[in-house]
Amino acid sequence: MSSANTSAAGQGLANRFNLQQYVVYLGFLAIFLFFAVVLRDSGFLTVRNLSNIVLQTAPATIMAIGLVFVMSAGEIDLSIGSTVAVAALAAAVTLGQYGLIAGVLTGLGAGLLVGLLNGALVAYVKLPSFLVTLATLGLFAGVSRSMTDLRSIPVTDSVFTGFFGSGAFLGIPSLIWWTAIAVAIGHIIYRETRFGAHVLATGDNARAASVSGISVPRIRLAVMAISGCLAGLAGLLYAGRLQAAKYTLGETDLMTVIAAVIVGGTLLNGGRGSIIGALVGSLMMGMLNNGLILMGLSVSDQMIVRGLIILAAVAVSLREKSR
Amino acid sequence: MKLNSLSLALFAGLVAATSAFAAEGVTTGPHGEKPTPAATMTLNQEQEQKIRDGKFTAALVWHEMSEYTNAVNRGAQDEFKRLGIEVVAQTDAGFDGARQKADVETVLAKKPSIIVSLPVDPASAASVYDPARAAGVKLAFVDNSPAGYEHGKDYVTIVSDDLFQMGNKAGIAMAEALGKKGKVGYIFHDADFYVTNQRDGAFKVTIEKDYPEMKIVAEAGMADPARAEEIAQAMVTQNPDLDGIYVTWAEPALSVLSTLRNAGNTHTKIVTLDLNEPAALDMVKGGNIAALVADEAYDIGVTVARAAAGSLVGRQAEPFLVVDSLAVTRETVADGWKRSLHKDMPTSIAQATK
Repeated sequence: MSSANTSAAGQGLANRFNLQQYVVYLGFLAIFLFFAVVLRDSGFLTVRNLSNIVLQTAPATIMAIGLVFVMSAGEIDLSIGSTVAVAALAAAVTLGQYGLIAGVLTGLGAGLLVGLLNGALVAYVKLPSFLVTLATLGLFAGVSRSMTDLRSIPVTDSVFTGFFGSGAFLGIPSLIWWTAIAVAIGHIIYRETRFGAHVLATGDNARAASVSGISVPRIRLAVMAISGCLAGLAGLLYAGRLQAAKYTLGETDLMTVIAAVIVGGTLLNGGRGSIIGALVGSLMMGMLNNGLILMGLSVSDQMIVRGLIILAAVAVSLREKSR
Repeated sequence: MKLNSLSLALFAGLVAATSAFAAEGVTTGPHGEKPTPAATMTLNQEQEQKIRDGKFTAALVWHEMSEYTNAVNRGAQDEFKRLGIEVVAQTDAGFDGARQKADVETVLAKKPSIIVSLPVDPASAASVYDPARAAGVKLAFVDNSPAGYEHGKDYVTIVSDDLFQMGNKAGIAMAEALGKKGKVGYIFHDADFYVTNQRDGAFKVTIEKDYPEMKIVAEAGMADPARAEEIAQAMVTQNPDLDGIYVTWAEPALSVLSTLRNAGNTHTKIVTLDLNEPAALDMVKGGNIAALVADEAYDIGVTVARAAAGSLVGRQAEPFLVVDSLAVTRETVADGWKRSLHKDMPTSIAQATK
């Protein structure tokens, strides 16, 4: 832009690019300000309530990070909805019998295995990830139901519940630590490493990526494994927070996580994304749930308003990108 | 609808509850509590005035929204309104315990005096409601309470159906429909679920004990409602002369109904539980359905709200309050819809009764 020859079109493009990047932040800010004004006397702005929003969205944020990798590579992972429960139940059962370390490893391992299974089918059997994970979503929902015969498993290990759900370190709740660490690591891998670049290249144009020497199948396997593993971690966080595991955990999160990722600036068909955007998108979803409840709306009205706002947010963020 | 709300929620203490019923012939609470009729939960004028003066608030934290929850919700809202209590929030956890925990945390920002709720999962519910309990909020529950919580100390009361009475009324309705004699098929819920087990058992006991000329000649357990049609088909094939079939709740009863219709059978009567529009429509048109036994869901809401409000002014509620149920037949369908759901019957049924 330093040259007088810079075309108006080029300048317009730069402006658009900026706007597109900031849609999620502007949306977040707008919703925050709206609730801050409307609910000023209803406890919305209290530290307790705002920290609740971050705590409540922690598992969804962690899942969203995995999904950013998956979607950036041009794939989708619908199975996270049931991976959460499988991991939480596996951890809870093992924890009760073999102790803390075994419980944690089993939980994360279960998530990783689901991810590897999805990844292998997508990368090497060359099935579309939408169909593969739609199938495994159902498959593992069934597995989680049969694992404990629909029973919920109490988690009584106080170290586990403290570490993963209800504890605090340096005065900051453990769920906020988990969110911060996962976002930081995810962001660095996504933005600063060769792997991150390869993921984006694969999503942008798989054939070109392959020609330039990137092992596309390996990238696909890796992103699905990351997503499964992070869904497993989300399962541990739920189990720690609720001090129990049940097959219903995570079932309602899938759509929220997808919406958070898309609103956060990640393209549905790959090639572009943002971990920080996904974090803000996830917080936006949590804030929306929280604020609509505090507004005293009936449950049906909450759903309608939430749907409309998500629709608007997605429309704005996708339109900006497709221009 | 009722089954959904309860079946998943109730595991702890089921076995004890079910066996206790068999001995006593009455409904017992999820932790073996003795039932008290909901109608005894009253407030005097002085208590009501004190509540109105208190400017209290309440939040409704539901497990999921269904026709049943809607009726309970309406009952609670109306009663709170009558007592001058503002409902500041209502939530729907979509059967997810983690979401219900988030909902409780969220509504606490509005500092409600009361939370009325149906726990998604009693086994893990203590961690869900602990923040509210710690904040001194009065907790009143529908159908179940968190494991480890003590009545009077941690929560006000549990309000639920009189499950034995529901099964019993289904038995009586069947007897009325068949002229107190005949062969009956019995399709029960083949799972360890406190709600259906008590209702099914009560039907069976009623037929066996009170109607010597009626006989249950075929029994079939149903674990999956989607398979109800196959079960009914097998039962009708083996026993073509059945006079009546009891079905554990309305949704599978529709499958049984379709089996009978397909076979051109207009003779066999069906009695089942819960109000359901297609079933009721068949009933008013003189089809196979003879009666639908329904709980007074609206009254569950009224009672739980009243008990919670009373606790704010020192009125202690009994641990387990049960509402009445009623057998709805062709003649009583309009009134039944009103009493159970506090709504006018659907227009399709109103038109069919004209």
